[in-house]
Amino acid sequence: MTAPTTKTRTLFIGMDGCTFTVLDEMTRDIPGEGLAMPFLAGLMQKGVRAKLRSTPNPLTPPAWTSIMTGKGPGEHGVFDFIRAEDKGGDVYWTLYDSRDVDTEMIWSIASRNGKKVAALNFPLTAPPPKELNGFVVPGFIPAKHLRRNSHPATLFERIKQDVPGFDPKELAWDFEKEKQAMETLSASDMENWVRYHLPREEQWFNIAEYILTHEQPDLMAVMFDGTDKIQHQAWQFVDPSLVPAEPTDFYKRMRAVCREYFANVDRYIKTLVTLAGPDCQVFFASDHGFTATVEVLRINSYLEELGYLKWAVNDGSEQALRREASDFANLDWSKTTAYCRTPSSNGIFIRVAEKPGDPGIAKKDYNRFRDKLIEELKQLRNEDGEPVIVDVLKREDWFQGAHMKDACDLTLVLRDNGFVSIRDLKPVVVKRPEPIGTHHPDGIFMAYGAGIAGNGMVPRRKIVDVAPTLLHSVGLPTPSDFEGKVAESFFSKEWLAANPVVIGAPTQKLGERAKAEEMDDTEKKQIIEQLQMLGYME
Amino acid sequence: MSANQEVIVAQLKVLLKDFTQDWDHEFEGEMDRSTKLLGDLGFESIDIIQLVVAIEEDISKKKVPFDQLLMKDGRYVDDLSIGQIADFLVERM
Repeated sequence: MTAPTTKTRTLFIGMDGCTFTVLDEMTRDIPGEGLAMPFLAGLMQKGVRAKLRSTPNPLTPPAWTSIMTGKGPGEHGVFDFIRAEDKGGDVYWTLYDSRDVDTEMIWSIASRNGKKVAALNFPLTAPPPKELNGFVVPGFIPAKHLRRNSHPATLFERIKQDVPGFDPKELAWDFEKEKQAMETLSASDMENWVRYHLPREEQWFNIAEYILTHEQPDLMAVMFDGTDKIQHQAWQFVDPSLVPAEPTDFYKRMRAVCREYFANVDRYIKTLVTLAGPDCQVFFASDHGFTATVEVLRINSYLEELGYLKWAVNDGSEQALRREASDFANLDWSKTTAYCRTPSSNGIFIRVAEKPGDPGIAKKDYNRFRDKLIEELKQLRNEDGEPVIVDVLKREDWFQGAHMKDACDLTLVLRDNGFVSIRDLKPVVVKRPEPIGTHHPDGIFMAYGAGIAGNGMVPRRKIVDVAPTLLHSVGLPTPSDFEGKVAESFFSKEWLAANPVVIGAPTQKLGERAKAEEMDDTEKKQIIEQLQMLGYME
Repeated sequence: MSANQEVIVAQLKVLLKDFTQDWDHEFEGEMDRSTKLLGDLGFESIDIIQLVVAIEEDISKKKVPFDQLLMKDGRYVDDLSIGQIADFLVERM
């Protein structure tokens, strides 16, 4: 393959859930196993890298939205995959989409500043903006809906015609399959789960290669999400601290297929970096890291023990059983004052009565009530006497912004970074039979290429720093309302002197927010009510 | 059927034809008011979420409280016809 000079100034490769714990393993020569990612190892040696601190609750939708907007969830307004509203007997589910992102993404910022962009497989990019100079194939969208949600409208057909082997069913998000990420799987299902992501990722790579070759966008971005999915189920096979003294055949097989996945990603990186050419700057980032969770906290059972919550009566009907099985707390709302709505929120909502007679606590009692609850949460111990909840985040401290009211009143940080369970089960804390993967707040941020410093590991950056750094690389100022800052330690002194950081005009309001501002008060109220109930998914 | 309802039924037919063009469903007839999403067009629950987005983008041009159509008395409805969606949109737009 030749190394041409292209128009692409910035190549951004997202790796969902990627962590140095695993990346360091995949980029070192292990006796008997070799080097899974030789190309990336070379890039890491020549470039710069830092840990990247994720959003307060390190989760894909809020975290990638922060990467794409340079702002935290309190400002961009995305807290989860799913928004769920309790309608008494059943739960009304809907998904967050790009219209819920209440601030401009880097794709739009770059586009309206004359740059051509490509964003492949990023969550919250559907439906795509109608006026975008570039290409979007959104992530987390089922195959049947990719055509309508790709931009421009002709792109899907073009890919179908021009990309050999293109199969939207193999490429796209499968709602039922994705739920397996957090389920307990049999050995064969676990192996199939990992294998399922190999051809999926190849499909995304093929599209990225096609767009980069034929369009050479100024800002070219693709996200590989198999890293997250595989690590959820197969963490024990990739964490170097969990290698057994005498590995079973199954362990060896699972480890081999996981390493095959990372070797494939290395091949994709090599091709894309080579295609982008020697003048391009290449960035890598993940939305959060990964680690092992060893116990389960049944948070609503604990709140019940403390007297804050009462479970709904299950009459055994089909509807009641379905409701019970959903990932949304099934409670007696008339007798509940504090509860966790969904597993992945890792948060507690406090119910405040709007007027006398409503269920919930009085507004005047809020601070006293919350302080007492925080103390009780911190007192919880596991069977070994260790504190289970190591920190409790108040929303005004961590989710400042226009959407603070949509955040949980309290966000829990567990000692093993696990996600809570909301099931009506006892005991409150139980050990897992095997460690499984969970999100760690520290992801990765790396760079390589022309004008990038060979600084090795540098101090940790914040997730909101990625957006201004990418814009700076592509030659654009940092919008003045960004929360993040350009990672100046990523660039060489010479390049930075020739390309100083500039603070520019603020982001523009667009899409649904602009429309909402044109609506009358009743319509605004309806939208606010819809947005008020947030959900979470295991 | 009012003029508004007719217009929206026509818009929904265009939208649904585009929406389902890559699907493996066996529906071959002409869509009309009685065409059912699940029964005729092979919708699954995730498809309804996407259809809501498509209607809000292409037809209503704003968010609409679809939970009031999709849930009755705290339970999800079993199926929806094009006519039911059109009647709901006429009320809400």
